[in-house]
Amino acid sequence: MATFDADEAARLHRDLHSHLPSDPALRVKTLESLMVERGFVSEATLDAWVEAYSDHIGPKRGASVIARAWTDPAFKARLLEDAAVAIKDFGFEGSATAHLKAVENTDTRHNMVVCTLCSCYPFALLGMSPAWYKSFEYRARAVREPRKVLAEFGVSLPDGVDIRVWDSTAELRYLVIPQRPDGTKGWDEDRLAAIVTRNSMIGTDRDLDPGKA
Amino acid sequence: MDGIHDLGGKQGFGPIDVTHDGPPFSTEWEARMYAISQTTGGDDWTIDWFRHVIELLPPDIYLNEPYFQRWFMVYATGLVQSGVTTRAEILGGVAAAKETPPRDQTLAEVLEEVRQSDRSFARTATDSAVFQPRQKVRTLRHGHSGHTRLPGYARGATGEILTHHGAHALPDEGAKGREAAEHLYTVVFSAPELWGDEADPRDTVTLDLWESYLVAA
Repeated sequence: MATFDADEAARLHRDLHSHLPSDPALRVKTLESLMVERGFVSEATLDAWVEAYSDHIGPKRGASVIARAWTDPAFKARLLEDAAVAIKDFGFEGSATAHLKAVENTDTRHNMVVCTLCSCYPFALLGMSPAWYKSFEYRARAVREPRKVLAEFGVSLPDGVDIRVWDSTAELRYLVIPQRPDGTKGWDEDRLAAIVTRNSMIGTDRDLDPGKA
Repeated sequence: MDGIHDLGGKQGFGPIDVTHDGPPFSTEWEARMYAISQTTGGDDWTIDWFRHVIELLPPDIYLNEPYFQRWFMVYATGLVQSGVTTRAEILGGVAAAKETPPRDQTLAEVLEEVRQSDRSFARTATDSAVFQPRQKVRTLRHGHSGHTRLPGYARGATGEILTHHGAHALPDEGAKGREAAEHLYTVVFSAPELWGDEADPRDTVTLDLWESYLVAA
């Protein structure tokens, strides 16, 4: 049973940290051996989880959802109404997507997502978050100077575009719907999905490149 | 708590390394730590307690350890504190008594478990919502020493209710292992309200805030 005792947790952090090996890989290997020896999980099960998040659950899922939103107005309406339900069409629901809001970029609005307090992210839909999303730099700066942050990602906004930064402070997760670029008329969903970048679904990319398909 | 984790608006961190576009896990140990986190832990841990234990890392450790080492510390500390394992076991990596692990999960079973883990945090409201969309609200000026989801940069600020989400589990209580439900709102703030004259008046920031974080403005 957890004690939920904050002072005790802080004390244990200090105690354990001062006695642990400094090598992060060794620490995790030690923990893994212990969890396996104690019978909580097997090596093969851990392998399967790594494979799931390395090869199967990733931003291609989100890109498929965006491509359908671009080609199917009824689906886009449902995605904007309740994204958590709409992604079930694909079987992409799961970890951290029970409450999901899709926010749409327009000619006058750019959306950007951050979690300043930790690193909340819609894992089941976009997979593991990129390192920059978890970085102190992004978490500190995205809410305060989003235009400078975007410039570092190579994004500059025309004068008439405002930015809305969504700080994920609850169990609600966000998916940015980027604008469909010109020059993609008649494309099927697979071809469209191939030009949707992970960063565009977080809001640190804006003008998608049809040449990347 | 006014911890080091509350990073929104903090200055001096410098440029973002925007180059990360590689594999989902940048090291093998990150992948193993993530897998351990998805398969082990205390039965009664809440998401809020997990986050609070990260926040309780001393600031120097929080700032100097890589992201998934902060998760490692939650497991080390959390497993000992919950009595799942002992300090000696965590530091030594050897179990006092060996037990047989459960049957291996296949990839298909893992993918299905992920799909079914869209756990809802919506709760039945016990009273009606105090605020309505488009209403002006002000956030509390003071936080408290426990876990809370009102960041420091948005305290004492006036914004407008954008959306009411019904009642959701309150993290401040969840971090203590208790259940409480409160209405949750997305609140929009102008950038100058949060940051002053340096901010671009075109821009806005939204936060998802529980009812007890807000008063009518």
